[in-house]
Amino acid sequence: MIVGEQKPLEEIKAMVAPYDNFLILGCGTCVKTCFAGGEEEVATLASALRLAFGKDGKKTKISELTVERQCEGEFIRQAASLATQNQAVLSLACGAGVQMVASRFPKIPVLPGVNTTFIGILEQPGLFTEKCLGCGNCVLDVFSGICPISRCSKKLLNGPCGGSKNGKCEVNPETDCAWQLIIDRYQAFGETEKLYNYVPPKDWRTADAGGPRKLVREDLMV
Amino acid sequence: MVTTRTAEEVSLAKRAFRPKITVFHCFNAADLAFENNGDCELKAVKMPCSSMTREVFLLRAFEAGADAVLVLACPEGACRHVSGNLRAARRVARVKKMLDEIGLGGGRLNIFNVTQGDDTAVEHILKETLAGLEALGTNPVS
Repeated sequence: MIVGEQKPLEEIKAMVAPYDNFLILGCGTCVKTCFAGGEEEVATLASALRLAFGKDGKKTKISELTVERQCEGEFIRQAASLATQNQAVLSLACGAGVQMVASRFPKIPVLPGVNTTFIGILEQPGLFTEKCLGCGNCVLDVFSGICPISRCSKKLLNGPCGGSKNGKCEVNPETDCAWQLIIDRYQAFGETEKLYNYVPPKDWRTADAGGPRKLVREDLMV
Repeated sequence: MVTTRTAEEVSLAKRAFRPKITVFHCFNAADLAFENNGDCELKAVKMPCSSMTREVFLLRAFEAGADAVLVLACPEGACRHVSGNLRAARRVARVKKMLDEIGLGGGRLNIFNVTQGDDTAVEHILKETLAGLEALGTNPVS
């Protein structure tokens, strides 16, 4: 999922301060799962902002709505009526969702309430960890299912480096050495000979180095 | 012209301030059957577990005009849902921080562990809360 974190209240308050009424628009997919922008977070943020503005003696009308996904136009359509009744939209989606909403409502300011952090997993309740950089050319088959691109601090394709100590990374001793994990996993299913294969440098053109990416599926186009 | 209030006027104002306190309580931790007592206006909200008290409930209680909000949870190790009281404590800590950021003051929200039937402890908690409110004053949003 896309993992995000709600921006500090002070920052959000400053962003929406110029408006007398605005819509807080939640997203019911990734950011809901990481407790940054689902129904619950929309309600809590709206209440916190009402209190914050109320304390300053400012009357603010805050509308609340959460759609299934902000990165799909079909779902944003549900927000059209409320969005156009308000002076601004505070989106609690990831950066993609915010931009999708902005493109659908070109005459309304659309503001981000969440810092999009990474593509990751829920490792345990309250702990989200990064697992993918979205490099555009998955090589997990070569590395026993552990991604050195996102999990090795140096993105080494032929590791480990000399900074791996007791299974931890020298860059951050709290981080597991991705290469130790790769070796452990290959040992677990008896394919350690694959560690002798040289992996050539990665072609980063499929990653963000090649500019904004686009995926075309002509069979799905209407 | 600067006007100063006499001691008698201050005393009258203090008497006029009848704090509103909302209490979210686990029905295993306390049984707050009464809605009001002489010193404050109490609103008791019975919950199946203190952990059911969501962040938005606490904030909306302040929006509704509460001067202080209390959460009464079971003592540590005595939660029937294993760790509900611990989760409630973490949630309260988060909302206290939020209240500080808002400027209402995190001191208006507190959580206490109470054994079922310990009315003396509840009375003591209410007294402490009322004493704390003398310094904090009324909820500026109400």
